[in-house]
Amino acid sequence: MVRPLRIFFRLQLVQLRSAMEYRADFWIAAVGAILQQLVSIVFLVTFFGHVSSLGGWSLWQILVLQGLVMTADGIREMFADGVWKLRADVNDGSFDRVLVRPISPALQQFAALASIHGIGNSSLGLVVMVLGLAHSGVVWTWWTVPVLVLTMLCGTVLTASISFLTNMIAFWEPSAQSAFPTLVALMRDFAKFPLDVYGAGIRIVVTVILPYGLISYYPSRLILGVGDSPGWWATTPLIAAAGSAAAAALVWRRGLNRYQGVGN
Amino acid sequence: MTSLDTEAALRGRTSPGSKYVSLARTTLQQAIAYRITTFFNVGLTFIWVIILYYLWRAAYAGRASIAGLSWDQMRTYVVIAYGINALVGWRTGTAMMATIRTGDVVFGMVRPLNYCTTQLARALGFTVVEGGISMVFTLVIGLLFLHIQAPASVGSALLFVLALIIGFLTKMLVVFLVSLLTFWTLNGMGLMWSQQAIMQILSGTIVPLALMPGWLQVVAKVLPLRGIVSTPLEFYLGTASGWAGLGLLGLQAAWLVALWLISNLAWKRAFRIVEIQGG
Repeated sequence: MVRPLRIFFRLQLVQLRSAMEYRADFWIAAVGAILQQLVSIVFLVTFFGHVSSLGGWSLWQILVLQGLVMTADGIREMFADGVWKLRADVNDGSFDRVLVRPISPALQQFAALASIHGIGNSSLGLVVMVLGLAHSGVVWTWWTVPVLVLTMLCGTVLTASISFLTNMIAFWEPSAQSAFPTLVALMRDFAKFPLDVYGAGIRIVVTVILPYGLISYYPSRLILGVGDSPGWWATTPLIAAAGSAAAAALVWRRGLNRYQGVGN
Repeated sequence: MTSLDTEAALRGRTSPGSKYVSLARTTLQQAIAYRITTFFNVGLTFIWVIILYYLWRAAYAGRASIAGLSWDQMRTYVVIAYGINALVGWRTGTAMMATIRTGDVVFGMVRPLNYCTTQLARALGFTVVEGGISMVFTLVIGLLFLHIQAPASVGSALLFVLALIIGFLTKMLVVFLVSLLTFWTLNGMGLMWSQQAIMQILSGTIVPLALMPGWLQVVAKVLPLRGIVSTPLEFYLGTASGWAGLGLLGLQAAWLVALWLISNLAWKRAFRIVEIQGG
């Protein structure tokens, strides 16, 4: 367990070094990524200038949801953005190189790209979340902080697994141009708001099929004390992470078996 | 071939106008080849239409109007705003940047054509496809599910179309100016993200200008970006009329002229520092 982790961080460090050769690029990417996150925050602030609550949630409570999703996705961006290279790698055959090395192919793919600008997203997410928590009148107990940390880590696993899964489409559908993985990844924006406002269809999708709600809405209700929420909701992030990781592992095996290389 | 056809063909070879048309036709064909990608690219902007629809629905529960807009108007605003915003989409911007990144820009430099107009013509080709798909999304979602309103009157429909065209040209010039920054940096992705985000806020896509907090409203009202989404929609909904409407059109037109001049100045400057990657 320790050795693969060490190798993973070594690989990340190599990527990081090459990325830091283009320092201006890093700043432009970081600013761009942060600005994209600010859109929904500008909307929220404007929105709450005209209404006082959204389905029983205050502005600050919703910022906690936003913060949780942003932080999880920022950490994913930093450590697992390599999955977004999978389609290009499978297409041009450089995926062969991954297969002949004596390290887990999945691990190498995760480390194929270090998007250090994710640090901007995750820091902004943390700030937003802490601000939200500070103004929401949270009743702090011994499990509050552990559940928050668990939620963010499980959120990272969930968003990474979903990106990984959707990018595996490369094994079945050779066109590297599809925007389908981006579409699925962007569905996380649904979970930046309380799920109560949506219709039943969307609620089911973001709870069961793409369970982004399990890493924001459900644990947040428990922590913020919004409405009646059963205690086991603290474990919903674990369910989401375990389920999505298992699905990704399963499909990954089948995908690897299907991969044939591109010939010469 | 009749003599008339020959004459037309000859004229086609000499007049610069038709050269731009054939440039637009090339990119149109490219865009059609990648129609599935374009479909998803447009589709993903509509995720926010769904989110905004539900958020505003909750906000309007038990209220007739917010900042002078009724629920019917707000719903219409959200759908059409995203429809317009998808007009000059991701592909147009990345295509402009790609010519600079790959060094294809040299062809733009040696052609006896205006570089800025060349880029606009190429963008137009993409836009026909992006715009077509976006219109289908807008109409299907708008008419079948969200029941959007018709334009306030025939006059406002005409003004909407006029403002839409000016706004469309404005957006192309803004995207063009942003793409020129690729001469200085290699990170087109970060530039596109920033451009998209700022555009979404200041054009009034994410939320109508009238609802914004005071300081943001002041900024958004003077900048050209409002002409892209907010101004056409104000005509559509009939919230701007008379002198106010004339003022909006004037501002839009003035910014268009200014942006055209800036663009032409900017690419000439940018060409001086050009550095082609690879050998």
